[in-house]
Amino acid sequence: MLIGIDVGGTFTDGVLFDNGSIVTSAKKPTSENNLKDSLLQVLDALLINTDKVKIDRIVFSTTLVTNLLATGRGQKTALILIPGHGLPCLSYEISPDTYFLKGSIDFRGRQIEALDRKEILAVADKINNSGIKRVAVAGKFSNRNHSQELMVRKIIQEKYPDMLVSISSEISGKLNFPRRAVTTYFTAMTLTEWNKFADEIEAALERRGIKAEVDILKADGGTIPLEVSRTKPCETVFSGPAASTMGAVALSMDDFNSVVLDIGGTTTDISLIISGQPLYASKGARIEEQLTHIDAFAVKSIPLGGDSLVAYDNGTIKVKPERKDAAACFGGKWATVTDAFNIYNSMNLGDTKASVAVLGQIADNAGITVDSLCSQVVQNVIAHLVANINGMFTAWENEPAYKVWEVINKRKFKLNRIIGIGAAAGAIIPAVAEKMKVDYLVHEYSPVANALGASVVRPTLAVNLHVDTQNQVFTVDPGGINGKLDHPTKFQLTDARELARKYLVKIAQDRGIEKYAADSEFYMEEQFNMIRGWDRIGKLFEVGVQIAPGFIEEYKGVKI
Amino acid sequence: MKPTGILFFPAFDWAISPTHPEREERLLYTRDQIFEEGIMDLPQIKEYQPGLADLKDIARVHFCVPDIESQITEAHLISAGSALVMADAFMQDEVKNSFAIIRPPGHHSMTVSHGNRGFCNINNEAIMVEYLRKKYNVKKIAIVDTDVHHGDGTQEIFYHDPDVLFISFHQDGRTLYPGTGFMDEAGGPLAYGSTINIPLAPGTTDSGILYVMDNLVLPILDEFKPDVIVNSAGQDNHYSDPLANMAFSAQGYARLNTKLAPDIAVLEGGYSVETALPYINMGLIMAMAGIDYSNLSEPDYKPERFKESERNLAYIKSIVKKQLDLFRHREEVVAKNRKDAEYFHNYYKQIFYDTDYIHEEQQNRLRMCPDCCGFRIINSSAQHRNGQLYRVLCIAIPVNACQQCHAEAISAYADMVKNGDAFDLIYLQDRVNDEYKVLDITSSREIVL
Ligand SMILES: [Zn+2]
Ligand SMILES: [Zn+2]
Repeated sequence: MLIGIDVGGTFTDGVLFDNGSIVTSAKKPTSENNLKDSLLQVLDALLINTDKVKIDRIVFSTTLVTNLLATGRGQKTALILIPGHGLPCLSYEISPDTYFLKGSIDFRGRQIEALDRKEILAVADKINNSGIKRVAVAGKFSNRNHSQELMVRKIIQEKYPDMLVSISSEISGKLNFPRRAVTTYFTAMTLTEWNKFADEIEAALERRGIKAEVDILKADGGTIPLEVSRTKPCETVFSGPAASTMGAVALSMDDFNSVVLDIGGTTTDISLIISGQPLYASKGARIEEQLTHIDAFAVKSIPLGGDSLVAYDNGTIKVKPERKDAAACFGGKWATVTDAFNIYNSMNLGDTKASVAVLGQIADNAGITVDSLCSQVVQNVIAHLVANINGMFTAWENEPAYKVWEVINKRKFKLNRIIGIGAAAGAIIPAVAEKMKVDYLVHEYSPVANALGASVVRPTLAVNLHVDTQNQVFTVDPGGINGKLDHPTKFQLTDARELARKYLVKIAQDRGIEKYAADSEFYMEEQFNMIRGWDRIGKLFEVGVQIAPGFIEEYKGVKI
Repeated sequence: MKPTGILFFPAFDWAISPTHPEREERLLYTRDQIFEEGIMDLPQIKEYQPGLADLKDIARVHFCVPDIESQITEAHLISAGSALVMADAFMQDEVKNSFAIIRPPGHHSMTVSHGNRGFCNINNEAIMVEYLRKKYNVKKIAIVDTDVHHGDGTQEIFYHDPDVLFISFHQDGRTLYPGTGFMDEAGGPLAYGSTINIPLAPGTTDSGILYVMDNLVLPILDEFKPDVIVNSAGQDNHYSDPLANMAFSAQGYARLNTKLAPDIAVLEGGYSVETALPYINMGLIMAMAGIDYSNLSEPDYKPERFKESERNLAYIKSIVKKQLDLFRHREEVVAKNRKDAEYFHNYYKQIFYDTDYIHEEQQNRLRMCPDCCGFRIINSSAQHRNGQLYRVLCIAIPVNACQQCHAEAISAYADMVKNGDAFDLIYLQDRVNDEYKVLDITSSREIVL
């Protein structure tokens, strides 16, 4: 049996899934100050009448790291940068405690300027004197050569063994130094809290006698073992929207182009599924207004949900972004979007009379009929959703391209279907689909698709290899591995593929997810001849291989 | 403040040949540098997606022999199209200025295109200039070519056009391809002074080039008052460029850009792919976006490394004086030329296509019109690489042609349609009506764009 729990901003959802169907589900309000308790409450609700021994796997997604960063409860962290030449240092002042060091590496991984040991020690002293015990170090092009970052960490830790130093080459190997610095900085800030949380969860599961595999959902729609997540807290951000999107994929399991609308109480999250694969944010997840190197789905969140208020203000009918309560038909006191759709589409949701009563008051104030009020609200909501959906298509179609092939085969999004998930999907999706003239899918599991998604997704792992045959070196991400090539002159693309695959298998083994390695696929290949004069002096390769987002073997879909 | 528009199209899957300077690797390290810096994430920058030029955009400038399709690849359509995307972004006020970091380049391509010259088949800036005039009705445009090679293609295309000011500084043609760009190439008889060449001695440094900017280029621009300034932004004046011998630095290029403040910049040459391009492109982006670039330099750059000699500075000063004088007296010369003119101004031209090894011969006839800059008839012949000899007649009507020139050119085309047996192809480039015709004499097939 599988358990998936999504600790969301307002509610925590959980499902117990077995043999193609949801055995039981649970929903509790999320207590923002104690996510662990919210999670365990839902877990315990799922465990009633369940044989704990039969639970094979528990996956959860949480907003812990997002909350820590949003509320400034991360640990105070100093940021040490080795920016070399280029943009002014000013543009990299991410932390209030940012320090800049001499030193520089270029795009080929060559050292341009050496570090200055005295300067490093002086910075370490300053950090220590300010009472900070946590340091993030990031160097420009450290993804091509990590030696300077390693040296800085070594020098600091020799003098201050209790200082915890995170270095950027171990966090990400992608180009984009500021994003690498931000990701490392956020990692350092949340590492302790996240580990405390992981400890508590492990202890709580042990107390309950649960020996299942425990995984954390990541923003890229895959999981990592809880143990592995301890060094990568930032990968857990935005796992809620990822759970929803993967839930939509789990419900559909085909290769159509879909838009996913996750309509909650106060917000709607929009994501795209292109030929069955969720679309990634091209620039990585944005945390606290800062771009990071966290792979995340492209999710657009708009402040409009099933519980958004309907009001009559200054002579106009308005849909307000705020939520006061549940919809009137579900026991709330106020007229909401759900109530309007309930009446407009004659859906008989909950207590329809309650919907009519609250809407009636507003209609009276506005001097119109309830039907006309509902119609206006519905048109307003649909127009808003459709505009945002189209905005996402356009943004995707307009992403830059760097190859002739990409421009000639220009992408164009042809929508096949809308998949509605979240509590209010049933009321709103059919009308949106009608407006856009496409099919829709709202499944009986739609209200808990997020938790369902979490329970059945498989681990993901993307390994990126960069090879420079002239300098006879290679680097591997994740982990910031730097290696020496054995036979640089004979090295070909096939060798690069083999090397990348070798590291994928090795890292998968280290993480205990090797059974998925056989399913890995190459998602990126670049090969450049380096010509100086008229001679080839070497080759550069960039190869990416991944275990893409998908589902565990046992999962074969749900009954439609 | 509006952002700077950047369109980065490195064409990672296009090369002239595997070891050619114009190969896949050319903008690889530039990609690494600008992506690693994270400059595209800054609010001062807006990144754009490449576009595709229409065949009509190309026909507005070029007579491609035997047809456009055989002179270009998809990469050329994207490169030219991307310049147009940057032009649109600027003209539609989405950005304060824009920079197309694109390849393949274009500034050696002339009006008639029989093949590839100096790595170019079609002229990106010229296509953009005619597009700006057609679509946005822009009147006066200045093109400042900062490539180390003389922008002979762009010069030839606008040689008779007084509304397009072409300024090129470059390494002296006696020492470098294409061997032109001397001071006496100053524009056709009716557009004299709207071509300004500044041939510089090999080894000229930052201070020499910036002296030219301050004392010649900027004053001329001030007086010409263009509506749009285009920078043909070649980067091969760099001290490490393998194809030339100048001593310009990334800082120099950035400062030049700040001074020039182009509205639209388009990358041209530059073949020091590792040592120069990543840093010059960073410098240009930063300069255009108004970002402080004092922390930018090449790894091996030392400010004291290059110093302008007294002798060269004196030479530069003499050029500046001479060219400023030429520019300021241009209207008198044009008036005189017009007064003394015969009906047609005839001239002969030989053009060598180095990449494709083609020799073209041209007989040009320019109508010396009292009311406009005159239509032009080009009689061109060349033997292509496949052995085929092409004889073509091209009639070009400028966008601002007077009614009479327009009518005369149209009737010249009509006449040739009947009596053009000596030619393989007859072209009519009617920029007034934005209509482009080519007639295949053997098959009598006419294509209209
Ligand atoms: Zn050049
Ligand atoms: Zn005329």
